[in-house]
Amino acid sequence: MSNLFEHNGAKGQGYSQPAPVLPESSISLPASLTRKALPRWPRLSEPEMVRHYTWLSKRNFGIDTGFYPLGSCTMKHNPRVNEVIAQIPGIADIHPHQPEHHIQGLLAIFHEMQYMLEVCSGMDQVTLQPVAGAQGEFTAVRCVQEYFRQRGETQRTKVIVPDSAHGTNPASAAMCGFEIVEIPSRTDGRIDLDALRAVADETTAVMMITNPNTLGLFEPDIVEASAIIHGVGGQMYYDGANFNAILGITSPGLMGFDAVHFNLHKTFSQPHGGGGPGSGPIGVRSHLAEFLPGPLVKKRPPIGNESQMVIDDMWYGWYQPTHSIGKVQQWHGNAGAIIRCWAYYRRYGSGLRTMSEHAVLNANYLRHAIHKATKAAGVDSMVRDGAEAKVTKHEFTLSLAPAKEMYGISAMDVAKGLLDMGYMAPTVYFPLVVPECMMIEPTETESKETLDEFATHFAEVLQIDAETLHAAPTTTPVRRVDEVYAARNLCLRHPYDDE
Amino acid sequence: MVDQLPNLGREAEMLSAMGMSSIEELFADIPAEVRMTGALPLPPPQSEEEILADARRLLGSNVALGERVSFLGAGLYRNYVPASVFQLVNRGEFLTAYTPYQPEVSQGMLQAMWEFQTLISELVGLPVANLSLYDGSTAAAEALTCCVRVHNRKATQKDTVYVSELTPPDRLSVMYNYCQGADITIKLLRHHSDGTLDLDAVSEAVGSCGVYVEQPNPLGILDGGLSQLKAILGKTTALIVAVQPVSLGLVEAPGHYGADIVVGEGQPLGSPITGGGPIYGIFACSKDYLRLMPGRIVGRSIDVDGKVAYCLTLSTREQHIRRHRATSNICTNETLIALMGAMHMALLGPEGLHALAVRNMTACILAKQKLSQVENINLPHSNSHHFNEFVIELPGSSKDCLAHLDAVGIVGGFDLSAWYPERTNWILATFTDQNNANQIELLVSHLALWASSQGVNA
Repeated sequence: MSNLFEHNGAKGQGYSQPAPVLPESSISLPASLTRKALPRWPRLSEPEMVRHYTWLSKRNFGIDTGFYPLGSCTMKHNPRVNEVIAQIPGIADIHPHQPEHHIQGLLAIFHEMQYMLEVCSGMDQVTLQPVAGAQGEFTAVRCVQEYFRQRGETQRTKVIVPDSAHGTNPASAAMCGFEIVEIPSRTDGRIDLDALRAVADETTAVMMITNPNTLGLFEPDIVEASAIIHGVGGQMYYDGANFNAILGITSPGLMGFDAVHFNLHKTFSQPHGGGGPGSGPIGVRSHLAEFLPGPLVKKRPPIGNESQMVIDDMWYGWYQPTHSIGKVQQWHGNAGAIIRCWAYYRRYGSGLRTMSEHAVLNANYLRHAIHKATKAAGVDSMVRDGAEAKVTKHEFTLSLAPAKEMYGISAMDVAKGLLDMGYMAPTVYFPLVVPECMMIEPTETESKETLDEFATHFAEVLQIDAETLHAAPTTTPVRRVDEVYAARNLCLRHPYDDE
Repeated sequence: MVDQLPNLGREAEMLSAMGMSSIEELFADIPAEVRMTGALPLPPPQSEEEILADARRLLGSNVALGERVSFLGAGLYRNYVPASVFQLVNRGEFLTAYTPYQPEVSQGMLQAMWEFQTLISELVGLPVANLSLYDGSTAAAEALTCCVRVHNRKATQKDTVYVSELTPPDRLSVMYNYCQGADITIKLLRHHSDGTLDLDAVSEAVGSCGVYVEQPNPLGILDGGLSQLKAILGKTTALIVAVQPVSLGLVEAPGHYGADIVVGEGQPLGSPITGGGPIYGIFACSKDYLRLMPGRIVGRSIDVDGKVAYCLTLSTREQHIRRHRATSNICTNETLIALMGAMHMALLGPEGLHALAVRNMTACILAKQKLSQVENINLPHSNSHHFNEFVIELPGSSKDCLAHLDAVGIVGGFDLSAWYPERTNWILATFTDQNNANQIELLVSHLALWASSQGVNA
């Protein structure tokens, strides 16, 4: 059966439960509180449930299935030991309200993660609380907002973002109540310093920018951009979505940023699980540190009988920043994701730079291989670089605008053609500044052979006629899905027979 | 390190294919003035075995609740997640997928999430549910901003919402952070001394954009008065109810007594506590809120052959399309944990959910019966119904009591002075399906012993 709700066997349970400690008759809820009809959930035995979800899993594509060059999303391999570690009861069975002496080991890992992120980013203090990149952005902008309020600089109502920014940047700043000022990128995709100078003034609170930018290019003028913003008294915010390109090579601190978020799940490793979970810690320079959401983890020598409970000779405890904005998630962040990322970083340790080098090596190699393959196949006129650049960083963009013009083949058509070749499609139509954009990020965990094969297949897709490509994919569990139909005929839950 | 990088040692070959001779050339665009000098001050790389050993040493030093007898809840609850859930969620096709932007190769997760929407919708009694928010607090906060978007035009108390004064400060803090940017004022709703909502005070909220209450409330009380709220508030003020999802196996679903939005911590269904994350926040609503709600939604559609197919829908609310006009900045959510929730719900079935709720509530009733007979301690809300936790008033400080219990291997509950500073002798004790009669007896006898040593009547 293909639909969970078609399973409606005998009254029973997919797993057996112990008897209650008292008979059900001991419960005497008044009618106003009593549920009249149970939810119309399906009824499955365990074998039926296992088969249903196994069947569903076979209709889904993950990194484990094949190459997943989804630009901006950093779909790298997830080491399996991380999953084993996340199931250790000392994390899985821990409650955030347990006292400090119950969780010294967890706090030690948190502290190590704060420190690791601080030295990699050049920031003075990190909080692990935000649970996603977008929430990290929101949190950091909130901290800056409180910082300016405390200084009486309430005229700072603007947040500047480049037009190539991730959508979360303007959305996060708008949630804080800021007015968004978008500045155009230059034709080569980089910041236009003149455009920045034209809008930066005493009403500027923050500039949000990612570097490398969403075209995968390093912004060489970043120091100048920081100087412009600092010159008008504003703050520089680093969107860490692309931090995996520069670890150990440069840092947001060196580039002049005041605050940064990390997408731990991208830079390190937490399986994305079909859209989450993630983890979005932020780091700030010292002038913003006391505004961070609390608590943070601090360490000190043990006092009194604490010495009997320490690991590594230090006592780890919670610390509440003095002007904290409060909380952005009720607990201590996505602790399980932080543990996995700790396990991942330990694999590289002081050698994290190698990880970034290979991410960049693979991206440049694939870009080169695609151009070589399309040239060899005689289809190089259909595709061009999204932005001119000798080298890119961890990802690059291609424009299928020529293919669209010549044959009516869109970036989406090519994406669907790649699905038929057994790949996940790259990110399409982002960033918006590149027409018919395809954004490709291979990550460091793909072999040269995989990259070569993908380049060959990419060129093969471009040789397919337009009509066939419009009809692609044909080998997938379903063919092209009608998204307009979905929006016009909203069906957001199982339609029961009486509905 | 080596085991994660397939091209280690092949750099020269790959570089030469590009006409380059060193890795350094790939970074030639990074100006010298921003270059890091020297190595990162971090420990040397470790092997998988070393990492696992270190993880076991550090995490093994923590006190896992399962090693003790635990009565700690207060928003997150120990549960039993069936083995098949862990086995299935670790299938790489689910585990290592991204957001289903390409529906043709993401039908498995899309369908599972559409089924999740249905399971949640049925659970809470509302027609629409999203794919999860980060946790219960962010779901509550997003519900407040959502109801202002929907109702502000007709509201007589513009940009104003009312929230139960009992709401834990950490949750309230998240609400303040999410609301302050939209200039939303949060006002507090009074409660009676017996812990139930003061319905007369609720009339103050008429004409505002929304009212937020919890069922059971933060004191563990099932408040029958909440079923009258919608009649008091009327159509133009949203009723937002936060739930403990397992309670809905016994307790009326808020959608059936007029709630417009239901939120909650999904964790008890499908997820271990995991130090408070990743867990998942439930968000469900009536159709009036659909187009202004936060988060991702899956719709059932068809493919070009007319075959049933699923895809993300109503995306024009979201940040990647609407940018600064989006209904929320959320991008990453908690899909994988929601999937665990769906699997757990599918295994439970309606009768299994009911049985699970009965196990919680009977454990709570048994504890209440036993503790009410203990001298020197008081149950201030003993006349109310409780789902799986209630307040114990002690003859001395909660801090001392919990430390005493800790020393004998019992995690005795939650010190309520963390939420209500004047309540220095209140603990919130939680009794779930994971507590058997012997454990309850153990708590009762140790509490009795401690209370008798305090010598003063509560």
